[in-house]
Amino acid sequence: MKTKVGLLFGGRSVENEISVVTAVQTSESLDADRYEVVPIYISKQGRWYTGDGLLKVENYRDLTRLLASSSEVYMKPLYGDYNLYLNGGGLFGDKVVATLDVILPTLHGTNCEDGTVQGVLASIGIPFVGCGVLASANGMDKITMKMILRGCGIPVVDYFWFNDKSWYADRDKVADALEKTLKYPVIVKPANSGSSVGIRPAHNREEFFEAAEYACTFTTRIIVERLITALKEVNCSVIGNYEECEASVCEVPQRSGEILTYEDKYKGGGKGAKSKGMRSTKRELPAKLADGETEYIQDLACRTFRALSCDGVARIDFMKDEDDRRIYVNEINTIPGSLSSYLWDAAGLPFDKAIDRLIDIALARSREESFKITDFGGNIFKDLGKGARMGKFSK
Amino acid sequence: MIFLALIFYALWAVSLRYDIWMFQQNSYMPSRYYTWFKSDWLANSLSKGLLSPPKVPLVWTRRVIRIVAVSVALGLLLLSLSWKLGGTALLVVMAVLVLLLDKLLVVLANLILSPVEALIRRWYYQDARRILDSHPDLVVIGVTGSYGKTSTKNYLYRILSEKYNVLVTPGNYNTTLGVVRTIREQLKPYHRFFIVEMGAKQPGDIREICRLVRPTVGIVTAVGPMHLETFGSIENVRRTKFELLEALPEDGVGIVNLDSEGIASAKSFPCRGRLLGFGIRSAEADYKAGDVRYSPNGTSFTLEGGSDGRVVYHTPVMGEGNVLDIIGAAVAAEALGVEVGARKTGVSKLAAVEHRLSISTRGGITVIDDAYNSNPEGAAMALDVLQRIEAPEGAKRIVVTPGFVEMGPEQDRACEEFGRHIAEVADGLIVVNRLNRDALCKGAGSMGEALYIAEDLREASAMVARLALPGDIVLYENDLPDSFK
Repeated sequence: MKTKVGLLFGGRSVENEISVVTAVQTSESLDADRYEVVPIYISKQGRWYTGDGLLKVENYRDLTRLLASSSEVYMKPLYGDYNLYLNGGGLFGDKVVATLDVILPTLHGTNCEDGTVQGVLASIGIPFVGCGVLASANGMDKITMKMILRGCGIPVVDYFWFNDKSWYADRDKVADALEKTLKYPVIVKPANSGSSVGIRPAHNREEFFEAAEYACTFTTRIIVERLITALKEVNCSVIGNYEECEASVCEVPQRSGEILTYEDKYKGGGKGAKSKGMRSTKRELPAKLADGETEYIQDLACRTFRALSCDGVARIDFMKDEDDRRIYVNEINTIPGSLSSYLWDAAGLPFDKAIDRLIDIALARSREESFKITDFGGNIFKDLGKGARMGKFSK
Repeated sequence: MIFLALIFYALWAVSLRYDIWMFQQNSYMPSRYYTWFKSDWLANSLSKGLLSPPKVPLVWTRRVIRIVAVSVALGLLLLSLSWKLGGTALLVVMAVLVLLLDKLLVVLANLILSPVEALIRRWYYQDARRILDSHPDLVVIGVTGSYGKTSTKNYLYRILSEKYNVLVTPGNYNTTLGVVRTIREQLKPYHRFFIVEMGAKQPGDIREICRLVRPTVGIVTAVGPMHLETFGSIENVRRTKFELLEALPEDGVGIVNLDSEGIASAKSFPCRGRLLGFGIRSAEADYKAGDVRYSPNGTSFTLEGGSDGRVVYHTPVMGEGNVLDIIGAAVAAEALGVEVGARKTGVSKLAAVEHRLSISTRGGITVIDDAYNSNPEGAAMALDVLQRIEAPEGAKRIVVTPGFVEMGPEQDRACEEFGRHIAEVADGLIVVNRLNRDALCKGAGSMGEALYIAEDLREASAMVARLALPGDIVLYENDLPDSFK
């Protein structure tokens, strides 16, 4: 009997295709003796599918055909029901495709990494790999992430944030408030986008207006950060949970312009790069850093991981200001591309062992949650007649 | 004619459903079924029980469907035979007989099906065996005993779960069939340990479960005078429980509670592996526990004998019997490789079951809630806690109790004895309601003015509110109603 792993990928985000790559890589590394992989693909329209064809990258060239030859499936948001059901067709209720033991989400971006999917899984109660709802939501939103890290004494670059409604109501007011807090150049980002979508630098007020207008087309929350001109980016991955976590080696991802763009991330690299996702991005691995900087970054990475209550594997992206030599946490990816397998390979943890660990962590969290009290029993309505009024309890 | 036939079938359906339901309630055992039927044969023939059905509904298992099918087939066979042989008259007679006596049909159907059921059971058993074979690294721990096995099982589960994925047989699945079901439905590749609670209704039951699961660690929690009607003697009880020790391999570990008289008095222990005895009072124990202290925060005790020297454990669980169960679990955890830090953390997270010697502090007053206890042994354990619990100088120890219920002819004597014990230990007693008032007051007569009478729990609680001051300890003991808070 093997552990049935529901590999959940795709999603309603701009990173749907990247997620396919991560999923295929992951499925190839799952120990076939111990695990049985059930692929669950979420289309951009938000429908769920399963089928063997979903784990071959070439099939995605003709998505319509692929989906037509796959089966539509769903899970019920009922606590304790770990079944994957076939959508429609059953005469006496839908057929069960598989009863899953654990879900492995390899979805990236909005609607995927931000706690939405995690919320569904948590409602069902099925063990799942990666961050829970809280860490996913906080990690995805650049604003809350920075607020939490700052509150824990972890260095983040100075920032300013606003809501698109404030922007549309009075643009000048927002720009004035920004200028009181930060000096140009700044970088304007949607608070919750992944993969550098909607991001624009602004070197003056005019550029800021454009950048803000652009960012508001993507989201309601916008963050503005001091733009580091002499920028060196360093990434580091962390695996584990609150009790025990370790950091990988550091890498310096290469970029073409001022900032690492979507194109840099996924379309850089040589032959076959398109299908290799983050693995093929040009990078300096391990990062060549000054004395002590690697350890400093690894320590910051673990502290960040803990501060946000993460589980599983995450990649923390750092920024070094070469001018004043200060290092800041830029952002965290709670479901990193390729699950950062390349960083862990370099650190001596092969991907298949890393996945074993991730599943163990998921089961451990599920175990721990099962011992926490969520209900005191009893029924306040039963005592209602005896003098307790709705909304106010008698002494 | 057709109209009559329809009425007959409708009545038969109702009657058959009831009879099958009762058969299931009686565990498909003809002897118990007959006993039930006899208890009110007229009402049961007429299926009167349908008017006030029992709480547990009929579960339509495949076995039930098989019995229904065969019963119906038998009934139809009888009806068609009687029509063939005696025409309409005999048919009508047979129809009435079928309605009144289809319990016999059910029993007969069950008998006819018994080889089928045996085959199915064997198939499930072999399937479970096959599943276990595909899990060579799974470590199986057996837990048995006249009492304490469920608590020990749960404590061990909690301690092991600090670091590992553990499967445990659920509540009442302590038979071979229950274990087979647990394996087939719940065992996963990621389980490292499988704790199997083993119950015995007769000698050989435990041996049968051990043959299936092949435990390498076994805990015998106690041997006592339970179910002597089936076993005959304490020796037989012990021999049956020791079937677990017999099943352990040479590199296995047997763990026994030497504070249990029934175990300590054994002349020999049939264990091929290592044998470890534990106890608080026993002098021969390999693992000696001591310094058991109770406080408003819970219990602490020391345990010596393992490779970690003297270990101090803290836990919210109270009562010597429960502490012994925890010790058994801790010894097993150590034998299974759980290091001392994880054992201590696990033990500190054990939760007392609400209303079973659970402790809390309200307004500075320590409340020991043993409201769900129902027997003298438990009450004695509670009084022991009350007597020994650490409290400030001059603190009053008060007992609130209605005495014991449903003890039949023994009740008065037991309550009187209880009253005497309370008088030795407590500074105040509030007797709740009239049931055992006389017996309790007789036993606790020496308490004089410290003995109070309350009509009901509400009045008793009001008295406690008046009498108890911060630092005092109040024990709510026995059979107090569900709405007790």
